[in-house]
Amino acid sequence: MDLQTLSSLHNIFQEVQQKPDWKAALDTLFVSLRDSFIFDNVAIYLKDQRTRGLDVVYARAVGRGKTAEADVVWGESLASEVIAKGQMILKVPTRGTGKTGRLDLAHLLAFPLYIGSKLGGALVFVRFGGPAYSELHIQTAALQAFWTAALIERRDLQQARTELDSVQRQMRLQDDFVSTISHELRTPLGFIKGYSTSLLREDTVWDEATKREFLNIIDEEADRLARLIEDMLESARLQSKTLQFKFSPVRIDALMRDVATRINMHHPELKITFNFETLPPIRGDGTRLSQVFENLFSNAIKYSPGSEITIGMRASAENIRITFADQGEGISEDYLPFVFERFYRVPGERTVTGTGLGLYICKQIIMAHHGNIWVESVLGKGATFIIELPVVPML
Amino acid sequence: MAKRILIVDDEPRYLRLLEANLRTEGYEVATAQDGVQALDVFSAQPIDLVLLDVMMPRLDGFGVCQRLREFSNVPIVILTARGEEQDRVRGLDLGADDYLVKPFSATELLARVRAVLRRAHAPSETTGQARFFAHGDLKIDFARAEVWRGEEPISLSATEYRLLLQFTHNVGKILTSEDLLTSVWGAEYKNDKEILWVSIARLRQKLESDAHAPHHIVTRSGLGYLMPPIEI
Repeated sequence: MDLQTLSSLHNIFQEVQQKPDWKAALDTLFVSLRDSFIFDNVAIYLKDQRTRGLDVVYARAVGRGKTAEADVVWGESLASEVIAKGQMILKVPTRGTGKTGRLDLAHLLAFPLYIGSKLGGALVFVRFGGPAYSELHIQTAALQAFWTAALIERRDLQQARTELDSVQRQMRLQDDFVSTISHELRTPLGFIKGYSTSLLREDTVWDEATKREFLNIIDEEADRLARLIEDMLESARLQSKTLQFKFSPVRIDALMRDVATRINMHHPELKITFNFETLPPIRGDGTRLSQVFENLFSNAIKYSPGSEITIGMRASAENIRITFADQGEGISEDYLPFVFERFYRVPGERTVTGTGLGLYICKQIIMAHHGNIWVESVLGKGATFIIELPVVPML
Repeated sequence: MAKRILIVDDEPRYLRLLEANLRTEGYEVATAQDGVQALDVFSAQPIDLVLLDVMMPRLDGFGVCQRLREFSNVPIVILTARGEEQDRVRGLDLGADDYLVKPFSATELLARVRAVLRRAHAPSETTGQARFFAHGDLKIDFARAEVWRGEEPISLSATEYRLLLQFTHNVGKILTSEDLLTSVWGAEYKNDKEILWVSIARLRQKLESDAHAPHHIVTRSGLGYLMPPIEI
């Protein structure tokens, strides 16, 4: 092989392999070798694993072949023949049949495609009306067939890897779910068990203050456990759509003020600013919507301690838009798309207790109202949760 | 003298629970809320036993256990919220002496602590271990897995670091290629001498002032390698 051939092969190889998509790679391959090997049409047939028939997965027409582009039937019988034989087949039109149409004078060249050592398909070239294939043409075509098989194998491997990745992601989510649940349930249970058995110890005497301290912890952790179980049940009901919503006219601004008042009872230090317009009532489930607002408050208290909360409400003809903004640490852009997913927790937030269920539940409730909820945040500059609820005419 | 126990857990309520119970038994208590802090607290005072939570920020319990075992035989009891077998086995494989699955009762905790302390090595054996190691201008902080040449920090790959530990833990002893390959790479690499040659060469380039006249890792032709005992 001379240097020039080698270097042009090298270039073709690079160009073909760099194409991320297998069809684009094949296009490049056939176009680049057209100087050495001219054809009118090319088609790739692959065995369908289930039906065992042949599928055309790729077909291109160049030059004169363009008129016959849609018609890939010309190669099909030859493809079956090649696959049956497992060898190259060269077909030259027989003379003297009286046929003169170009399509009847097809010079066909077909190769079996060995994909990962298995005979998986065939590559068929056609020249209408000649010229006949020379030895060099056949060699070039054989190289293309070999390369095509490698590209198809690469496609298959990429597909397999994508599938495997998605299976693995599913499994990891499952794993995370099991370990999150068991960790979250065991933590309060561990405190209840640990502190109550401490009080039950017969070999020591605790002073009154310590006894009270331990009993308070047991009490609080029992509440936390109950809340966790409630959240999990709620999320399971939402997931299976068995949660019943009771829709009635709701004054959303009054609802929000009510929730805020309750939150302020437990957290008198929390500063809440309202920025409301006059709003029309909407149809909704007041209890569930309160639950959403409570969740947003409790998240703000947990993840942005000490931050002020600003709540805005505006109405347009179609919807009510609620903005719920804190001035805490915010959420990194990388995590924003996932915070409403079931059991998702922002990495590194392990020290704050949570199940990864709160926002999931919020989203399910808002969606049941045909609304939308999302979050906007810049790290270090706080987070704003936005809820849109449709305004529907009251019946 | 009262035994001092280091408790490591990121949940303040666990720290309080463990501390309150241990003090009734006359133990002294030190606490840390994450793995990195645990190593610092451990290095700052004599500790007779470590109670170690697994799930922690920064450096988890397994990581702490592994680091501690690089320079100390202190008894370690792993506290895990996950009772799965693989977690317990992993803890024990990393050199933990016992484990306790949360939730546990206060009396069980105290019984385990007593048992582990009883089984523990004599104090003289544990005090021989040190967090820091020096060999000429070479210095290592085992707790943080950091290596310096003089004042200059050296960055080693995990494999290079494990290879170096083989020498620091066997100063003055000749180690054969098979020994080193087996303990650093695993038994199936026993005969892969080329890997060892390349790794020793790379390690020397990072550690030695002159890689061709090494002071820290010396070749004994036909026998193996050693870190010579005398400080140079």
